[in-house]
Amino acid sequence: MFNILKELIYSSGVVSLTGGNLVMWLVAFVLLYLAIKKQYEPLLLLPIAFGILVVNLPLTFLMEPEHGLIWFFYHYGIEQDIIPPLIFLGLGAMIDFGPLIANPKTLLLGAGAQAGLYVTFFAAILFGFDLQEAGSIAIIGGADGPTTIYLTSKLAPHLLGATAVSAYAYMALVPIIQPPMMKLLTTDRERKIVMTKLRPVSKLQKICFPIVTGMTIMLVVPPAAPLISMLMLGNLFKESGVVERLTNAASNELMNIVTIFLGLSIGATMTATTFLNPKVLFIFFLGLFAFVISTAAGLLMAKFMNLFLKDKDKINPLIGAAGVSAVPMAARCVHKVGSEANRRNYLLMYAMGPNVAGVIGTVVAAAILLKNLG
Amino acid sequence: METDWPKVLEVFGSGIIGVFLVMILLQLLTQLSTRVIDIIENRNKGEDAEPGA
Repeated sequence: MFNILKELIYSSGVVSLTGGNLVMWLVAFVLLYLAIKKQYEPLLLLPIAFGILVVNLPLTFLMEPEHGLIWFFYHYGIEQDIIPPLIFLGLGAMIDFGPLIANPKTLLLGAGAQAGLYVTFFAAILFGFDLQEAGSIAIIGGADGPTTIYLTSKLAPHLLGATAVSAYAYMALVPIIQPPMMKLLTTDRERKIVMTKLRPVSKLQKICFPIVTGMTIMLVVPPAAPLISMLMLGNLFKESGVVERLTNAASNELMNIVTIFLGLSIGATMTATTFLNPKVLFIFFLGLFAFVISTAAGLLMAKFMNLFLKDKDKINPLIGAAGVSAVPMAARCVHKVGSEANRRNYLLMYAMGPNVAGVIGTVVAAAILLKNLG
Repeated sequence: METDWPKVLEVFGSGIIGVFLVMILLQLLTQLSTRVIDIIENRNKGEDAEPGA
């Protein structure tokens, strides 16, 4: 009887538990708390947290190459580049490029916000990261989860968990991180600027946009093809109006299914040995730095553009902060800060232009990094 | 490990310039294509209105 009990204990995971596992459980419980209680990006943080929890249970071998269940999700979904493009397919089916087509100069705000990403690349090198790691950390500034995962899985797969959690965490913290920067870099008068009404955009213009933009980006920066092709296909589904079933499938069922596998796989990369590393703290710090600098760069870009615009065409510089992707949180945040300055100012639609331009800009920036560092 | 500073500067410079060039190109193409579509749609509207006029 005693022997049976002894054998049971020794064959269980309990005796193999390490201090690192316990710390990772704590990390998982904190993320579960943020997801469930605070509702910070719960769709992603919940499966990520559960992935962290189960992969840090000894002897489960869920991430054992060629054997573990979650390893198969990770291998086929992320290492083989399936999941991030599918997320982009769903995103494309939900995005409205109308405000961007109505005001194409907001594409420059999406470009401006990417400057922060390259400043962070430089900073990460100074912190001792190698070129590939610095590229993966810098992309956090784009505030685009799937692009961060896509690029990191190519350049520095060992940092995947840290960069993905960092990107999604800062996206969830947009309403906390961005407003102080907005208020610091704009005057009260600038925040009160009321922009001219957006021109109407026809259905044909909305149909042509994903085709023309997708073809152009893929011709100029081919490494962007996996993400941009899916983004534009999803958008074409939506705007064509003839494949409602596909639009619904891409933006609902497919998006939800791949989100489960994405979150679980990312969480499962965060074992104690890979995550409990001083580098991870630096990644979180540099991720925040990237996000702040990208926000500032977007705001300053908007102010710079105003120098060349006539009074009636001036843009409210707050919308520059939406140049980081984080759709639609960043645009909502701009609207909130704008309406605090002028209650009759309705900035949401204006901010959606740079917000979706930020998605395109981040993919282009990631593709250029991949071309240079891959 | 020694940092390859020329490569760092190349990635930094080509990245910033590259993103801006692509986005400016997209801006120009978007403006051009929407203008062409506007002209076509306005002409079609004019043609549709003519028979009843």
